[in-house]
Order: sequence, then C-alpha cells, then structure tokens
Amino acid sequence: MTIRVDPENNEPRALFDLADFSGQRVLEIGCGDGRLTWRYAGKAGHVTAIDPFADAITRAKENIPDELKSRVEFRHIAFLDFAADSEASTFDRVILSWSLC
Amino acid sequence: MVHALEEIQRLLKPDGCLIEIHPVLEAPLIKVYQGSNVLFVEPYPGYCDEEDLRAEDARAQVVQRGLFVIERSGEFDLPTYGSSVPELRDYWAKIDAYDDSPKEEAVEARRTELYARVEEIMRTAGQGAEVALHERASIARLNPRLLDFC
Repeated sequence: MTIRVDPENNEPRALFDLADFSGQRVLEIGCGDGRLTWRYAGKAGHVTAIDPFADAITRAKENIPDELKSRVEFRHIAFLDFAADSEASTFDRVILSWSLC
Repeated sequence: MVHALEEIQRLLKPDGCLIEIHPVLEAPLIKVYQGSNVLFVEPYPGYCDEEDLRAEDARAQVVQRGLFVIERSGEFDLPTYGSSVPELRDYWAKIDAYDDSPKEEAVEARRTELYARVEEIMRTAGQGAEVALHERASIARLNPRLLDFC
C-alpha cells in the first residue's frame, strides 16, 4: 500500500467552494510536491507554483502529469524574491497553501 | 508575514482573490482504521500551536489594516493514510511537511509510546488496517479591500 493523501478530496472541494479557477491565472505559494496543484490546474488557464524547498520542486517537476505540462510552471524560489521581480496586478487567484507561518 | 500578504495584494488583479489555507489551532489526530471502523483515536503528542497562531494573527492583521476582506471561510479535514507507522513517518520526512524530529525528550517518549501502541493495535487488527494522521485546516477567500468582488 502507498501513502494516500486526502483521497476524499476534502481540500479541493473546499477550494472550489470558495473560488472558480476556470481559465484563471493562478499563483500558488508553497506548492510543495504539487499535491494540491494537480487538483485544480486542469481548470486554470496558467499556474505559477513556487516553493522555497528545492527537493519539493524537483519532485513536483518529476510528477507533473503530461496533460498539465503546458499550463503549470514550477519554480524554486522564495515568495518575496518572486514578488520583487513580478509586476503588479498579474494574477487572478493566489493560493497561499499551508505557508502562512 | 504581513509584508508577504501586502505583496500578494499587489500581485493580485483588482478583481482577483487570495485563497489562504492554514492548520486550525488544535492537535492533529492519529487514527487507526479497519475498513470503515475506527479502532483508535488520539491527539498527536507535542503539538505546538505557535506557528498556527502566527498564521491566524497574520490573517487577522491584514483584515484589520484594510488590505483584504474575508468574503467566505470554512474548515476541512486533511487525512494522510498509510499502511504502517514507519511508512507514514517516512512520508513526513520526505515531504518535510510534518516536523517529526525530536524536540523534547518527554514529547519524543510520548510519541514513541504512541507509535508502539498504534503498531500493536494494527497487528491485532490484521490485514487491511490503516493508520492516518488527520489535520484540520482553515480555508478563507480574501478579496482586496478596495474592489471587494471576485
């Protein structure tokens, strides 16, 4: 048996209950290994998913489903560094995922 | 933290929104299942609410400062299932998502004792028993204050 995280889909259900991601430009901060990213990226227009931990981004890139490769960009970078190089009013949705601490 | 939320507000389009997720202020639960039957439930020892409190404070501060408006919020359960305690602990170590490193001798002793009891219950339950960590999370949609539609 392998590890199963949220097989009941509680997290994406809660996410979709709060916002529509259809065609939206999304920034996910603290994406980790992409566990949550895979659940909504299929609906989004484009996803930039960032995490300060290199190992997590490596795993996310290794595990990205083929059908999402064209719309998801993973980056190993801390949020404030990312923000410093980003223009204002860029994203429709920002997900701050288990990272506000 | 608050500076990060200010930067998020800057990066959001005026009609965009922030979805913020963080753990609630309560200890995660360790459970043992055999099918749909719950054989064991106990809080995970050594829970420290310091980081979760900081997250609560940061969310409250940006609302208080008028950067965002909380439009809606809720809670959900995030379970992680494994077929054994070592498998679960290996997973935590791999994803760095759960600090399972010993901090205090007393806490580590309580964890070791809990792991032993869970493994014994799973042995007794036989094939198909699963162990799970249940973390409860808070999720909120925050809209930029000046144009609070999303």
